[in-house]
Amino acid sequence: MVSSDSILQVANVIKNYSVRKGEPIKAVDNISFEVKKGEILGLLGPNGAGKTTTVKIICSLIRPDSGTILVDGIDNFQHRSKALGKISAVLEGNRNIYWRLTVRENLEFFAALKGYNPKELKKEIDYYIDFFDLKDKEHETANKISRGMKQKLAIAVAMVTNSEIVLLDEPTLGLDVKASYEIRDLLKKIAYEEGRTVILTTHDMNVVQDICERVVIIDKGRIIAEDRIENLMRLFQVKSYKFILKDRLTDEQQNQLLAIPHLTLLETEDATEIELNLENSQTFYQVIDILRIEEDTVIESIDRQEINFEKIFMDILGRSDEDAKDLAVG
Amino acid sequence: MQKIWLLGKAFLKREFILFKRYFFNSLGGIITLYVIFLMLFLGFKGVGGPNVGESIEGLVVGYTLWMFALSAYQDITLTIQREAREGTLEQLYMSVYNFGWVMAAKTFAQSLINLIIVVGMLFLLMFTTGTFLNLDVVSLVPLVFFTLPNFFGLGFIFGGIALIFKQINNYLQIMQFVLILFVSVPVGSVPIFKFMPGSWGSSLIYRVMLAGESIFQFAASDLVFLCGIGLAYLLLGIAVYKICERIAIDRGLLGQY
Repeated sequence: MVSSDSILQVANVIKNYSVRKGEPIKAVDNISFEVKKGEILGLLGPNGAGKTTTVKIICSLIRPDSGTILVDGIDNFQHRSKALGKISAVLEGNRNIYWRLTVRENLEFFAALKGYNPKELKKEIDYYIDFFDLKDKEHETANKISRGMKQKLAIAVAMVTNSEIVLLDEPTLGLDVKASYEIRDLLKKIAYEEGRTVILTTHDMNVVQDICERVVIIDKGRIIAEDRIENLMRLFQVKSYKFILKDRLTDEQQNQLLAIPHLTLLETEDATEIELNLENSQTFYQVIDILRIEEDTVIESIDRQEINFEKIFMDILGRSDEDAKDLAVG
Repeated sequence: MQKIWLLGKAFLKREFILFKRYFFNSLGGIITLYVIFLMLFLGFKGVGGPNVGESIEGLVVGYTLWMFALSAYQDITLTIQREAREGTLEQLYMSVYNFGWVMAAKTFAQSLINLIIVVGMLFLLMFTTGTFLNLDVVSLVPLVFFTLPNFFGLGFIFGGIALIFKQINNYLQIMQFVLILFVSVPVGSVPIFKFMPGSWGSSLIYRVMLAGESIFQFAASDLVFLCGIGLAYLLLGIAVYKICERIAIDRGLLGQY
């Protein structure tokens, strides 16, 4: 079902790479998803999952074996120029910019490449030089600026041409913490202040949790999960608690506790640690009741363990592997 | 068309900036070409003695044509190799223009700069050798204009091959010598040679610069053949390039080096 506010529709895309001997490699295996205008979407997956191939298919840089990509309703291979007028990309592993040109010269050159007169875009170029905090370096050649600034410039180049969709392949890879946070803030601004659609691939789940609204998770060329971040957090959320007790437990307490699923007991000479993953709150109270059988049992602390998106991502990948094994056995 | 002109201007500006910014390196290329000519010239005089006369003029014209052919054909191939190596080829492919237009704009810009260098070098060679050639601009400009597409065609063929294989430098080196053959074969005595890329155009340029003929003295059929063969090689080059480009896009080779 195609929704009217979609800026990008990826439908039934398949891409196999032929190899000299043996079966073709399935890089992208019948994937479909949509992206709404102004959304920040994370395209996630382990190495070799098919993320970069998907990004390059969207950018018309790799032709799929079948399936369609509609950019604002325009087929990206049948009407390549029109579709590319709406897309910019910063690709991983590439320089994306000319290192021997200055910051300003890069912006002017790529504006012309997207069909704009750089002179008419002077205001926009000035605006993005300020927006990306590159004013001090505008007349420096790109090879003389820091890695973080190069990445900012590459994103500025993608922005200056008014593309509605900005694709970023690993935008924070190799950047120090400060630069990574700067890029994150800029990406939020791009989406929320400029109304652009941002699609990014990354292995950094902190970036995903921080800025993405929705994720598409790919593994072995197939989509294994697609949802809003908060839905996935809710779906996979397991409340996890750690109890620390001053003394050892009685045998009766131990037996009763060990009968509770998802509970781990660790006893040392003078203390006890209980780790509990809860799916409903009743179990929490059940544990408390067992501990209160003995009046001498002193609970020193109860800590709630934080669940982050990285853990959820790994769970989803783990489940996908188990499903694949089950299918193989079946 | 106005947008293509904008693109051409953008490339011209970029090439000029790079030429100026890295002038020492650019100068090195010019000096290398001049030193190679000096060695050829001194060797030629040593073998032929003091009475080599017209042969020296032929050498100057031949060397100038070779430089021009080399720069025209190599530019497309080297651009594709360099852009792939530097990781900007995919950005050029994401232009709103067909990549053929992007390369045409780049070639136009580079050819203008090359033309200035080659003309400057021609005067330097004439001064060095003490020869004075017939520089009939009215005749030479259209002849050069219609000879260039032959070499652009070769450039597109090798550019397409470079898109798939990337590392083809050994073949490019061989082509440097093959180009000498193309610009110097005796088309008058062996007519089949006029079907070689650039050979017919070069022979007409020789006639203007050495024999003092004018374009208005050439038979109309000679000029039609000049346009036809240039167009044929250009179209052949573009066709081969398009096939290679399709293979590269199907196999996802554009960004790899």
